[in-house]
Amino acid sequence: MRARRAILFALTFAAPIALLLGDATAAPPPVYVVIVHPSNPTTSADRKFLEDAFLKKTTRWDHGEVIRPVDQVPDSPVRRKFSEEVLRRSVAAVRSYWQQLIFSGRDVPPPELASDEDVVKYVLKYPGAVGYVSGSADTNGAKIVSVD
Amino acid sequence: MRLSGWSWVCALVLGSKTVAAESDAPLGVPVPDVHAFVSQGFILTSGNNYIVRSKDGSFELSEVGINFTETVTDKLRLGLQLFAHKPATGGSYNAKFDWFYLDYRWTDWLGFRAGRTKLPFGLYNEINDVDSARVPILLPQSIYPVANRDYLLAQTGAEIYGRLNLPSAGALDYRLYGGTIFLDVANQPGSPLQVVELRTPYLVGGRLLWETPLEGLRAGGSLQTLRLDAKLLQGMTVIDLQIPATLAVASVEYAPQDLLVAAEYSRWFVSSHSSPPGLFPEVTTVSERGYGMVAYRVASWLQPGAYYSFMYPDVDHRNGRAAWQHDVAATLRFDINDHWLFKLEGHYMAGTAGLTTALNDNVALPLLERNWVVFLAKTTAYF
Repeated sequence: MRARRAILFALTFAAPIALLLGDATAAPPPVYVVIVHPSNPTTSADRKFLEDAFLKKTTRWDHGEVIRPVDQVPDSPVRRKFSEEVLRRSVAAVRSYWQQLIFSGRDVPPPELASDEDVVKYVLKYPGAVGYVSGSADTNGAKIVSVD
Repeated sequence: MRLSGWSWVCALVLGSKTVAAESDAPLGVPVPDVHAFVSQGFILTSGNNYIVRSKDGSFELSEVGINFTETVTDKLRLGLQLFAHKPATGGSYNAKFDWFYLDYRWTDWLGFRAGRTKLPFGLYNEINDVDSARVPILLPQSIYPVANRDYLLAQTGAEIYGRLNLPSAGALDYRLYGGTIFLDVANQPGSPLQVVELRTPYLVGGRLLWETPLEGLRAGGSLQTLRLDAKLLQGMTVIDLQIPATLAVASVEYAPQDLLVAAEYSRWFVSSHSSPPGLFPEVTTVSERGYGMVAYRVASWLQPGAYYSFMYPDVDHRNGRAAWQHDVAATLRFDINDHWLFKLEGHYMAGTAGLTTALNDNVALPLLERNWVVFLAKTTAYF
């Protein structure tokens, strides 16, 4: 009899409480994830490598493919976070860096796309592409790489 | 390299892709990246005319530029920029090719560029006429004088460049170039000497920058040597003048996050040899120049900055107001939005070595105002 009561109690109260606790302690999705083309063999990327790639100081992946970085628009919260953590400078500082290169004839910045969906489409289109989207975005087959 | 108008530029713009969009070329026709800027400034000085006739205020600080860049293959890129401004030496707003190049980047550590390219002299020479790329309206004039823009900004020739990653030691950024400068002959009204011909038989130089492992810290040096040959006419006498010059600058910049601290020190060695001899002093003059600058982005829309700059035109003669120029400057840069900015700047100047007699009614430099101030305002729109 006691055993039946205990099981009933567990099913009625303990299991939902455990589920609630589980939800509360689950890690929220990251603000951004870095994505590459599915054919890219890279599974993780060094932060410094990504910084050099997005500033076009490095132009090729280890496997030889040309890197095609793609940015989000300057007022995107995802770009702000990516810029601070990976490029280690504010979006305004990055824009200033590109102004120097654009008008001195050194290089042009990566394209700036308006949404996660556009970035995913771009990355799926070009084998050397690398971009970042919000952690909750549908990457639609684009490969997520970890940042070391 | 002058153009008669901008009409064909407009046609190019209409066929170009925007900055942000990455689109496929319609019908397979290449569409270049296009970027442009328009700047309008105002300058007012006390005591002396500076850069332009500024004592009563002047709007002769206008610049406009538009550039096109096309990535032809993974390694080959073409680009050109048209630029127009009103030179301090006179003239009108004729558009010129500021730069144009073909760039073959074989690998990250070796690339080749040919055409008219900006000179990598010091940290900021390449952005001397790009207001949106810096905090001050006037870069420190000791090392980046606006008056020498035609001599120092770009060369026509070739350049090799690269960037080498050093394991655990940062990276080296290097550039070597050689070529010439094409100069327009500009005679000063009333001068007893008329310039008949002006050419640069050679110009070679290079810059090496070490990007240290400390994020944002880079240091290095630049060296440039050239010779200017002039044929002058004094009455009926023809004078051949050769002016070899060597310019050296040591640079350090620390730019973590939104802070910028930079300092540069430079010496310029300039000689003259004339034929017939003796018409010009056959000596080598060494000038000393330097500055320290700081700027901080307080908010995405506000960036204050300040610098101190000094210049001694002749290190062996440091006495008298014409023998030095000290410049203390403060700037406020307001970024109104992502494509439009406004700046205010004030300078306290001591000395007259940075002035020219031609802009100051041919009054000798030792007789000009010793202490004077400069106020500037400038707005720039760009994309």
